Amino acid sequence: METKKLLSDGKRIASQYTTWVTFVGLLLLLSILTKGNALKWNSIRNLLIAESVRSFAALGVGMIIITKGIDLSIGYVVCLTASVAASFAQNPDYSSAIYAGQSFPLFVPIVAAVAAGGLFGLFNGYLIAYGKLPPFIATLGSMSIAKGLQLIYTKAAVVGSLNQNFKNISQGSVGPVPNLIIYVIIAAFIVWVFLRHTRQGTHFYAIGGNSQAARVSGINVERDLMMVYFYAGLLYGIAGTLLASRLGLANSLTANGMELDAIAAVTVGGVSQSGGVGTVSGMMIGVFTMGLINYGMSFLGVDSYYQQLVKGFIIIVAVYFDMKKYARRN
Amino acid sequence: MKKMVAILLVLALVCTGIFAQGSSESKSGSVKIGALIRNLNEQFVKDYADNLRKLAAEKGVELNLQDAQGDVARQLDQLNTLITQGYKYFVIIPQDTSATEQMAQQIKAAGGGASFSNIQPSVEALKVGKDFYLASSPELVAGQYQAQIIDEYFTKYPAKAPNKVLNILYLQGQLGHPAQISREAGLIDTLKSLGYTVNFIARDTADWSPDKAQEKMDTWLAAHRGKFNLVVAQNDGMALGAVESLITNGLVDNDPSDGTILTFPVIGIDATADALNSMDQNKLYATVLQDSVGQSSTAFELAYAMATKGTAYGMTAWGIAPAKEVISEAPANDAAVIAQCYLVPFKPVTKANYKDLM
Repeated sequence: METKKLLSDGKRIASQYTTWVTFVGLLLLLSILTKGNALKWNSIRNLLIAESVRSFAALGVGMIIITKGIDLSIGYVVCLTASVAASFAQNPDYSSAIYAGQSFPLFVPIVAAVAAGGLFGLFNGYLIAYGKLPPFIATLGSMSIAKGLQLIYTKAAVVGSLNQNFKNISQGSVGPVPNLIIYVIIAAFIVWVFLRHTRQGTHFYAIGGNSQAARVSGINVERDLMMVYFYAGLLYGIAGTLLASRLGLANSLTANGMELDAIAAVTVGGVSQSGGVGTVSGMMIGVFTMGLINYGMSFLGVDSYYQQLVKGFIIIVAVYFDMKKYARRN
Repeated sequence: MKKMVAILLVLALVCTGIFAQGSSESKSGSVKIGALIRNLNEQFVKDYADNLRKLAAEKGVELNLQDAQGDVARQLDQLNTLITQGYKYFVIIPQDTSATEQMAQQIKAAGGGASFSNIQPSVEALKVGKDFYLASSPELVAGQYQAQIIDEYFTKYPAKAPNKVLNILYLQGQLGHPAQISREAGLIDTLKSLGYTVNFIARDTADWSPDKAQEKMDTWLAAHRGKFNLVVAQNDGMALGAVESLITNGLVDNDPSDGTILTFPVIGIDATADALNSMDQNKLYATVLQDSVGQSSTAFELAYAMATKGTAYGMTAWGIAPAKEVISEAPANDAAVIAQCYLVPFKPVTKANYKDLM
């Protein structure tokens, strides 16, 4: 038992090491290509802000992938929660506001969006844990439901003209450090403590590693599975709030495709699609590696068509080595 | 260890190749203009970007063109990146109207200016400073021209719309897109003011896409055959999808005397090369020209004037003078910013004039 644990620790560290090396390598490459220009504080700040909202999605789906699940509904759930948050933060004198003439205290949009995300998480979790639907299919369905609800709720219109207090949630900063970066650090820390130091957190790894063994050892697999989707949903709710606050709007295109970005990022960050393996630092490094690639190409003025190509290659390479590494284990 | 090296090598190879390709384009010491373009996957936007590149090459301008790929957040990030790199003057096809004020404020803070095209900036965005311009065609007008074309057709063939009742199959662009909202409003209002009863037998989005439009039409033709007398699409791509569907479903009278061999007229917007070709074959009935060259040239000339002279206020760009009278569509509906609005005309394209564009 002891040696097994050591071994898996070793693997975890090795996989993390790979992602760190990749990240630092890219950083060096970019600084050489731009003669140091891309690594000034302003640029780094831009990069961190750009990736902040995705970090929340990545933390959520990262936990889900550790339990050997997947979540395709992220993009549209974030779109829905962003719209919900925005709808409670519109200027009351804006005639096209969803609740025109009414203004709400600042906690209302946040609570409403997080609640909407949490409900979707519970729905996904229930279907997967108790309904025994494959995660891919369950979340494919809820993706479409979220999209539909968003269109119905907003009547397909842009939810704009948000009040300044709400916009300050994301657009403000503490000294030179943008609020968004602080939120990401707090969220990553909480998820890290949760995964490493709580009973339920460690259960997620056990379920992802071998759900039968987890069940035999007394873990309530169904309940824990449902909860992982619930927690992820809460994170998507926060992501939606922050995104709406940052953009000053939400519409039916907000966050579209975020599921692929988040899944790609955590995969590059060493969270294994085979389940049971992954760390918070890996997820974050994955997010910022993908961010660095986006940012670097944008900085250098690379044609967007090539950007897609590069991202595709990187995801494939990352998953290829991930599969090779864990194929032996099974 | 071997694997790590392999990953790094692949990444390094792919990235250096492509990064190098990107960086080789930049020159120093010349006029710098940033272009923030919402989505290069759309034909109109691509034509717009191509013309920008051409104009920049002619004037020796260092143009950094960024594709937001349909994502507001990405567009804001790209703006940050370009500002960090010292770009101050911008040509922008915004991804969303509501984000334009924030963009204008950031550009103003950097001491620059911008001209907005295709997707309207908000009035507030233009109020950020006098060097923020609209260089675009009001979307309402495209819908109004569609309505006029429809009116001409049914005035000539009143039997095809008894009692001026129009039963329309309507293909919308992406829901929530400003063009989707305004083109529809322009069409409906003008038809009503011309005395028509407007019934939408079916109205749904096909996301600007020809194949989605064809699928949607196939379904509608099965459900509503015989109940409609007109097909209208919010762009040419979808209109051509509808044309294909009508042909495969046999709704063809092979009589081109009314301008189309189809049983019902199909009308689009954009005047793409494919659309003109289809008109030449008497399939698509008519379209409306959205002038990518006009819009991009106007926007570019404004940005170029700002970059070289410090301001473009009051100048004539691409032969278009700043607007003087307000119209009903934002942001040109506000007298305070009307002098910052350059309205590039749409043009109805019918049998009478389509050959000029081919």
